[in-house]
Amino acid sequence: MNFGGIRALSDFSFKVDEGEILSVIGPNGAGKTTLINCISGIYRARKGTILFRGKDVTGRNPNQIAQLGMARTFQNIALFRGMTVLDNMLIGQGYLLHYGLLGAALFLGRALNEEVRGRDKVEEIIEFLDLQHVRKSPVGGLPYGMQKKVELGRALAMEPRLLLIDEPVSGMNLEETEDMARYILDINEELGITIILIEHDMGLVMDISHRITVLNFGLKIAEGAPKEIVKNPEVIKAYLGEVGDS
Amino acid sequence: MTEHSVRESMKRVDTTLPKLLMEKAQVHGHRIALREKYKGIWKEISWGQYLEKVKYFCLGLVKLGLEKGDHVSILGENCKEWLFADLGTQSAGAVTVGIYPTNPVPQVEYILDHSQSKFVVIKDQEQADKVLAIKEKLPLLKKMIVIDMKGMRHYDEPFIISYQKVEELGCQLDQENPSLFKTLVDQTQPEDVALIVYTSGTTGHPKGAMISHRNIVHQTIHGTMPILHFTEKDTLVSYLPLCHIFERNLSMCIPLVVGYTINFAESVHTVQQNIQEISPTFFAAVPRILEKIYSGIQIKMEDSTRLKKFLYHFWMPVGRKSSEYRMKHQRVPMGLFLAYLLGYLCSFRSIRDKIGLLRCRCLMSGGAPIAPEILDFFRALGIYTIEMYGLTETSGTAAGPHQSLKYGSVGEPCQALEFRLDEGGEILFMGDSIFVGYYRDEKGTREVITDGWLHTGDVGKLDEDGHLYIVDRIKDIIITSGGKNISPSEIENKLKCSPYIKEAMVIGDRRPYLTALLQIDYENVSNFAQNSKIPYTTFRSLAQNPAIYELLQREVEKVNETLAQVETIKKFILIEKELDQDDNELTATQKVRRKQVSELFRSEVEALYH
Repeated sequence: MNFGGIRALSDFSFKVDEGEILSVIGPNGAGKTTLINCISGIYRARKGTILFRGKDVTGRNPNQIAQLGMARTFQNIALFRGMTVLDNMLIGQGYLLHYGLLGAALFLGRALNEEVRGRDKVEEIIEFLDLQHVRKSPVGGLPYGMQKKVELGRALAMEPRLLLIDEPVSGMNLEETEDMARYILDINEELGITIILIEHDMGLVMDISHRITVLNFGLKIAEGAPKEIVKNPEVIKAYLGEVGDS
Repeated sequence: MTEHSVRESMKRVDTTLPKLLMEKAQVHGHRIALREKYKGIWKEISWGQYLEKVKYFCLGLVKLGLEKGDHVSILGENCKEWLFADLGTQSAGAVTVGIYPTNPVPQVEYILDHSQSKFVVIKDQEQADKVLAIKEKLPLLKKMIVIDMKGMRHYDEPFIISYQKVEELGCQLDQENPSLFKTLVDQTQPEDVALIVYTSGTTGHPKGAMISHRNIVHQTIHGTMPILHFTEKDTLVSYLPLCHIFERNLSMCIPLVVGYTINFAESVHTVQQNIQEISPTFFAAVPRILEKIYSGIQIKMEDSTRLKKFLYHFWMPVGRKSSEYRMKHQRVPMGLFLAYLLGYLCSFRSIRDKIGLLRCRCLMSGGAPIAPEILDFFRALGIYTIEMYGLTETSGTAAGPHQSLKYGSVGEPCQALEFRLDEGGEILFMGDSIFVGYYRDEKGTREVITDGWLHTGDVGKLDEDGHLYIVDRIKDIIITSGGKNISPSEIENKLKCSPYIKEAMVIGDRRPYLTALLQIDYENVSNFAQNSKIPYTTFRSLAQNPAIYELLQREVEKVNETLAQVETIKKFILIEKELDQDDNELTATQKVRRKQVSELFRSEVEALYH
């Protein structure tokens, strides 16, 4: 992956197993978000292949990839600010609806059933994320932490198998961070969704990840369980040390 | 008919709460008893289903080893399962103990231990953690029954059982022995203890007041009904803590007698929204909530459009004037009535809609004394607003307005009880709704009940029409060094009418003049600070700001103008922390623990007298 001659990711290979939480960490500009953008189809990798559940998804459009069961959230919130929490989440359900124009006009049978099912699913997620009290509020007026939760909810509404989460707790206070950690664990364990997490907050990453991959200047410098990663001298030099200095 | 003969003609209560439930389910099994918002939709539960749920839970407990006379604690926010567990326990002849969901661990431990509970029913993981932390110290506790298992997948302990599982056990037992539940309910007797209510107690440990079936049903039929006239058409929202006698009566006992519908909010955060959706016909609140609604409207009006503000200030006097007639139970003169109608259309209607009181036929304040100014405000909006007086020890209602309303009065003593004032003015009651006694505390019981009379610890006055006025708690009355008797709560409530004051504590016992500790209302004061560009970071820095002190000074002066010279607040300080139940400064019902708080701010208070 190149940006104007700068190589953002190279010689990079990693694997996430079904059911695990894999965190990707690394200093600014290490290529973490690029990685997620490549996987979810927003960027197209120049070389190499991306396999998802046995299928080659390299070069496919984001919507095609989403259909296969992959959802993501964005580092900078990308919600429809004028729409309500409920509507934002229902959009996540959008690609699961299959009724046609006529069906929608009559709103009978299949269209009705699909809509009811979708709303039911979204309500489950609203309860799961404790968003009942803002169900009908426009997203733009909500506090930042809440918006992040709505984004997570929208991704969950897609009923994915793999969830890519990009910096879920940036700009959050301690309490919100703890809540978010609990939600991520619950998503993984109760809903059985595999997670790739990109995060700067080392406390969060160490607490909840099963495995960690460390990136630096587009290269993978380490991979392993949280306990091994904190001891890895190269990681300390590239990343953890830097945090300690600041 | 004289008061005495009214009481003679009263039929003695000869039923129990589970028996009432069976009756209700038989007579109108398909009518709606409860509603709960689930997945954004109000789900209905009929009286028939209500009974079935209670039956299964009761039999489930029996299967797990519950016996007559055992104690079961319930810890959690209001939900339908709370009621099922409550009546399920009582159906087996056992006793329910409610615990405040806001109680910190040591208080939960005290009540579980003191009540000798065999089972504890809890709402969710948050409460589960509290119980698990102290499990080892409670050898009598056999099982923890969890209503909402969300987030508890790791808790693999034989000690824990899900609510659903208990229901399944009960369902099995019912199939094996279909007549068992009826036999159990038939065995319950009116004089059996139905529930233990731990009083919040502003001093010392909470005390467990034992209340029998007869106590609570007698109080409902002969005490509350002649005042509140409930019908089955009423709709209420259950949102105050159910372990308190106030909400327990409204959500559990009175519906069993009358058959109205109870609604449960979706979550703790949605209470206000849900009240607006339901628009209850009867709304019961504690002063703190009414104060909050009142100051909320004041603040919102300031931020509102000029037209709305104008209409509000223009029509308010009309509302007040017509409420004076209504209070006296007189007809409002035609001209004034028409003016009020206009005011209703222009302003009051939308305000009432916003706070969810559009359909409200009666708004009631109880639980603690309230400033009459606040009640007047709601009356001006056209809502029939009353204050009632009751205690845990009288199983609820002790006094309330039967006909006309009087400013500052809690109405007439209720017909269910005999009433008198002793020489010192202390309020005494006797009758069938006086509680059985404090659990495991005979000494405490003897202190409050002598020769059958309950000593309430409150000082009251009667006027010529038989209306009762509560002066204050005996032990709280301030005697200044000048020898004047002053009721601090009256002054405190006036102070709390200000949107900027959340908590007030008046001091002055054996002192030359009165002073006060004030806690600012963080939300409203920080709004004020933002609007007037006063920089602050935390609660503490806000409370320390001289500009805020000046703001509060003005508020105190406003109150002083309405007080007699000896009652005025000469000096005050703004306390620099928010009082909290976890720090033992507030009771579970959010009343200030005077002793703890004056101890905490002793040096600051001393400084006010130098």
